[in-house]
Amino acid sequence: MGETVVIMGGGVIGLSCAFELQRRGHQAILLEINRCGGQASGAAAGMLAPFSENVEGPDAFFHLGKESLRLYPGWRDAIRSISGRYFEYSDSGSLYIAYHEADRLALEGRLLWQREHGSSGVLLEGDELFRKEPLLSRQVKAALYTPAESHLYAPDYVEALEHACRLTGVHFHEQLGGLEVAEWRDAVVVQAKDGRRFGGDRLLVCTGAWAQELEETLGIRIPVYPIRGQICAYEAEINPVHHMVFSNQGYLVSKENGTLVCGASEDVAGFDTTVTERGIERLRNWNKQAFPFLAEQTPFHRWAGLRPSTQDGYPLLGPLEESGRVIMAAGHYRNGILLSPVTAKAVADYIDGIKLPEMMEAFAPGRFTY
Amino acid sequence: MKKDTWHIGGHELHSRFFIGTGLFPNPYVQKEAIRASGAEVLTFAIRRVNLASTEDDSILQHVEGEAFRYLPNTSGASTADEAVRIARLARASGLSDWIKVEISANERTLLPDPLETLKATEILVKEGFTVLPYTSDDPVLCKRLEEAGAAAVMPGAAPIGTGLGILNPYHIGLIVEEAKVPIIVDAGLGSAADVVQAMELGVAGVLMNTPVAKAKDPVGMAMAMKLAIEAGRLSYLSGRIAKKRYASASSGHEQFLLK
Repeated sequence: MGETVVIMGGGVIGLSCAFELQRRGHQAILLEINRCGGQASGAAAGMLAPFSENVEGPDAFFHLGKESLRLYPGWRDAIRSISGRYFEYSDSGSLYIAYHEADRLALEGRLLWQREHGSSGVLLEGDELFRKEPLLSRQVKAALYTPAESHLYAPDYVEALEHACRLTGVHFHEQLGGLEVAEWRDAVVVQAKDGRRFGGDRLLVCTGAWAQELEETLGIRIPVYPIRGQICAYEAEINPVHHMVFSNQGYLVSKENGTLVCGASEDVAGFDTTVTERGIERLRNWNKQAFPFLAEQTPFHRWAGLRPSTQDGYPLLGPLEESGRVIMAAGHYRNGILLSPVTAKAVADYIDGIKLPEMMEAFAPGRFTY
Repeated sequence: MKKDTWHIGGHELHSRFFIGTGLFPNPYVQKEAIRASGAEVLTFAIRRVNLASTEDDSILQHVEGEAFRYLPNTSGASTADEAVRIARLARASGLSDWIKVEISANERTLLPDPLETLKATEILVKEGFTVLPYTSDDPVLCKRLEEAGAAAVMPGAAPIGTGLGILNPYHIGLIVEEAKVPIIVDAGLGSAADVVQAMELGVAGVLMNTPVAKAKDPVGMAMAMKLAIEAGRLSYLSGRIAKKRYASASSGHEQFLLK
């Protein structure tokens, strides 16, 4: 017998969990105060890059990201086939570029542990590098090439995911304005602003940057902070950048629709999603150092999203200690798109009574409570 | 009571905590942790900074407008020449004329190369930099760096990022005894206990990044380290008791008895 799972939050994490639960025979009820995919999910550049996003060492977060990347091809195929919708998914690989000889040591150190953990990365320099990425600035001294990394077009992916959820029978309730958890210990009841009540066997919290609002209700510390990420895009006639290109200042990635996306300028601005001149200028100041042709161009599109970051940078993912009736999946920071398949799998596994790997303890939602 | 301040290159410092800006989970936690640490000096790798417009840098932009002194480092350099080039770039960008010389030859241990470090220190001192070399905990080497004109000498407690604590307290103690410039323990500390130990050995300050930034609660840990520095410093100044083999009653009321 399947369970009824009330999901708060219709971002990429909530949608992914709903999809996975539904296809395993549960009934997902998805509650969203605005519209699905409206926050960080739709604003993401869609990088699936656990090696480039984790440069220090193979910690639990790296393993989570790597596992999610491994799940992605199957996940992508399922969503594409069930939704009947195509979304761009490119196995472009990535280049992490360096301007100083001094960066070599850091790149070599990274290669050393990443090659032990599934990367087929190599260091490229000179002609070899510029053959791979012809328009790259000749100031770039070397780059770490990681073939295993991919990217997808996040707005289309989230839309396909939502469509797949609808077709498999997830119950959607959007534009609810506000939600309150009325009961969670013995049964789950969530009440919307208009008084409608939604009941179920479990509560799954996927409210990203807004998860902190439940601290008092659930009686645990939920240190999730919104970090504003500003992104801009250029119109590009031919595919001018062949890989995802990372530097210590940000990233660039070409999309099939003829745009070149450059992100992200991060700052602390509460829940404000205004795009600022300063934020975009910051991107323009460094990206021409990577690709000089950008000096002549003006971005045609600028936007911002709130990335839910936690106190230690890891998401809150797993059941509450007090009651397995409540499961959290929030605080994925700038890796929500990457982590969507593995998060959905972990949540559904838990509900299906499958023991989670020990590594998942690093993400226990109660870890900040003392 | 006289204020317990100290000096590097003629600059008066109140805090004894140098904090690294790297590795924090996000800009919010970074800002709050730096604030909680009370640090006046921030350190970061020059190669990670956008030198063309430092105010736009992905890390430095978050601490802009506050009265910090920057101690950029040459991490990633594997020779003296490379370190010197990086230091010149940093000064030319207007960041700071303080420089932490950091030269490692091995990407697994990141242990400093003592010969290249001495060489770079000599060159940079001649060029007018305020030089703070990060080096191994060898007392003779530390003295040689001081003689070369280092404004402070920064021996490592253990390899960078390991959190192993002070592997050779005897050496750190000797280094402090011999020194006429401030000694700052740099790298390898893990917990507040390590920090107290360093300060009790008489060092002038500590430099940390990983143990704060990678803690479960970096803001809480920054505060803990700040308090540890204060506790260790005060304990050092106040003079610990001698160790004894056997108990001696602390109540000792017999001395108050009327004879």
